[in-house]
Amino acid sequence: MDPREAVDRSCRGPVLFLAFSAVAWLLVYSLFALLAGVKVHASGMMADSAWLAYGRIQPASQLALQFGFLVQLGLAVSAWILSHRGKTVLVDGGYLIFGGMLWNAGVTLGFLGILAGNASGLEGLQMPGKVLPLLFFGFVLVGLSLVQTNNRRTDEEMSPAQWFLFAATLWLPWVLAGSYLLIHFFHAKGVVANIVDWWFIQNFARVYLTFVGLGTLFHFLPALSGRQLVGRGHAQFAFWVMLLFGSVGGVSPGAPVPAWLPALSTVTAVFYFFGVIAAWVSLKRTINAAAAANDADSLVYNLMRLAALVFISISVVNVFFAFPGPGSTAEFTTYGPAMELLFNLGFVGLTLIAALYHIFPRLAGMDFSPRMTRIQTTAIVLGFFGATLPTALGGLMSGDAELGSGFYFASLGDVFLFAGSLILFLNFLGAIWFAMKNCECLADFSGKAKTKEASA
Amino acid sequence: MTIGLSFLLGLLASSVSYFMLGLWWPVAVVVGLFAWLAFGLLDVKMDSTFTLLGGLFLVFCVSLSAMVFRASDQLSGLQYIDTQSEDGIEFRYPVPLLGNARYGEAVYKANGCAACHTQQVTHESVVLDVKALAGEKNHAAVQEAISRFRNVTGRDASSGAALGLPIGEWETVVNGANAADASKARNFLAAAGASVDVQVRFRGEDLTQHDLLNPRGRGWGKRRSVAQDYLFAEPPMLGSVRIGPDLANVGARHSRDVLTRILLNPKIIRKDNKMPQHRFLFEKADEDDQGQHIINDGYVPEGVKLPPDVGMGDIKIIKVLVAEDDLIEKGKPIVSVKLEETQVDIPSPFEGIIKELKVSSGDTVKAGDLVLIMDVAERYKPTKDAEALVDYLLSLKSANYPLPEAPIYQPYTSSMPKPAPAPAEAADATKADEAGK
Repeated sequence: MDPREAVDRSCRGPVLFLAFSAVAWLLVYSLFALLAGVKVHASGMMADSAWLAYGRIQPASQLALQFGFLVQLGLAVSAWILSHRGKTVLVDGGYLIFGGMLWNAGVTLGFLGILAGNASGLEGLQMPGKVLPLLFFGFVLVGLSLVQTNNRRTDEEMSPAQWFLFAATLWLPWVLAGSYLLIHFFHAKGVVANIVDWWFIQNFARVYLTFVGLGTLFHFLPALSGRQLVGRGHAQFAFWVMLLFGSVGGVSPGAPVPAWLPALSTVTAVFYFFGVIAAWVSLKRTINAAAAANDADSLVYNLMRLAALVFISISVVNVFFAFPGPGSTAEFTTYGPAMELLFNLGFVGLTLIAALYHIFPRLAGMDFSPRMTRIQTTAIVLGFFGATLPTALGGLMSGDAELGSGFYFASLGDVFLFAGSLILFLNFLGAIWFAMKNCECLADFSGKAKTKEASA
Repeated sequence: MTIGLSFLLGLLASSVSYFMLGLWWPVAVVVGLFAWLAFGLLDVKMDSTFTLLGGLFLVFCVSLSAMVFRASDQLSGLQYIDTQSEDGIEFRYPVPLLGNARYGEAVYKANGCAACHTQQVTHESVVLDVKALAGEKNHAAVQEAISRFRNVTGRDASSGAALGLPIGEWETVVNGANAADASKARNFLAAAGASVDVQVRFRGEDLTQHDLLNPRGRGWGKRRSVAQDYLFAEPPMLGSVRIGPDLANVGARHSRDVLTRILLNPKIIRKDNKMPQHRFLFEKADEDDQGQHIINDGYVPEGVKLPPDVGMGDIKIIKVLVAEDDLIEKGKPIVSVKLEETQVDIPSPFEGIIKELKVSSGDTVKAGDLVLIMDVAERYKPTKDAEALVDYLLSLKSANYPLPEAPIYQPYTSSMPKPAPAPAEAADATKADEAGK
């Protein structure tokens, strides 16, 4: 048997389970983002239901996006890349399924907890504190499998993709555990709780999500263009600089904390940018305007190049707004959340969805419907640009304490995003169903494990 | 790894340990050298899981200590502090949430008010005022220093100094200068032999009262928020987006009535308000409930019919007692009908505005027929949650009281005469010194 096929066979069940859960959470996210947008157009709608208050559905939708969609799809893609890069089968794939179930249970409880009014009141970790241990152990189980897989790699040398994904896999549980212990166990008093929370947000976005996205790009961009990665030294520089400076900061100017914290955040944001440039140079010189080596990969390849472009654009704008002058102009406006959403969906989300397009047919033995894929991709790309750019610009133009006009246009983006993720969900479901029906490839799996995705 | 790159990383490591971790500088240099050697000369490869894991864990510890532990160390000593209210009464600050307000904080948290409202007043810039005191001997020199300052910076001296500096009295020389100008003024004045004082003032939209001169002013607080304000918040819901106004000082701006109305329907207060309504915090009031806390929110058309038990057969309307657009109270007669040869007035079952009359004098109707349509006020009363939430909002007045680190007016301190040490203590200290020797 082709060794690649053996690797894919070992990934099949676990990776598809995580990917399917992720796609389902994306649908949940887009539905609730749409509902939150409705509140802006009709302030009296759903006003009788506490569960559907704006202050509840907005954080709940963020949880669905970040912990439901991004983290799970990130884990699925990491598992596939680490086993492929290491030329080894996925070790203990069952951990992925069990850990994934725990993680899904945690996200579901957190989601319902926020809707029921048990939010923690913090921004980054809005879910009730009690679900954090569940999330932690779920992630650790998945991480155990990934770390073991990485340790059993055939070549001793690790590529940048492996560093980034390996580091991300270790980083999130550490940060999650640290924040949980400090906030809920040691009961950080006063603004220290907020500082821990900002620390978590910063680490989650600047280290965890960025590393997952960059690791995926560092694997796929060379692989799809059929070239060798240029600039391993650049990648190494990027790795350590982004890790060191991405893990500190994220405090806005004028926050009611000691003044060195915002100052430190500006400094780290500037240093972080040097790491971003190094990573960008390495990727840019690798692909160097090349087209995809294989025509069949051109959609995935182009989506990833778009994601890389979104990443570098956001980084340039972020470093500008990290300075106190421009920073205090943008502070408290809708610019901040809009850019965060663009980062989540336009860079990390798009990279991972593109990776899913590449991985899925190799695992399921059946591709997504090409027409639906085209429609859903267009809708999702239009959706995240439409939902974020007007809000960001509107926030900068109208300032804070105003509902800028951008919000009105953003709902159009939300509609596109909802349509796109609905089609993606149906596409996924349909492809799995056809794969199970028509080909032998899932027979051994569905016979062996009676898990959720078998029914899916 | 190249020597240049590893040198850069070594430099980073030493600056991190010096500036962020606050290590003693020789230690920082050693850390930097060690990092340089480790990365470059020893050629640590990134191919061992152990190297990667070790490096990651090191960075994790640096991150946690540089940002979280250091801040926690600094802030964990925060205690009560003495301040005074507007009318000069001294009290201990911050005041813990009392009574219902503590529960109201939980309601605020549960409903995610922080998704749209911050609780942090900020300032945008700092301006400095410079004061000077000149004696008889150096008066002319100080005057000259002031005019020199005006020539150099092109800035007008404040009116008091322009009129001539009074001898032996503090006078403001420069008003609202930036740091560079204030420093020039201080240098010139000090060189001329004057006593100089610099006062710091915080400026920003949040702090400025809204009036004709300051259309962008908001008056959200008298001073910026600082960590001290959140000593008892669980947790501080600072928020990062202002879709609505800041609430750090909302208790000083609005009354209970206004806040309750805004929660029910913000459009009652301002027509173009986009805030979502929170009807789930209210319940429909009974007809008989006439308390102070009842809020009318808009009107719904309601048909008024003749009571079904009013009588059998045809009923003749003698007279319609109300006209369209009349505002009538509950129980006020609306029509007179002829019942068993007597005239009976039918009272209105609701309070509201008459929209449309369905009958006119002389008509014959039956029991249960529609008489008129009126707009009836929807009456709500706040639930316990809403009342607690408003209690909490009313307790938010933090930006009213001066604190040492966030004064409303920074006192002139730099050249205040130092208090003379009490003689008895000084004598004791000398004795102690002698005993030590």
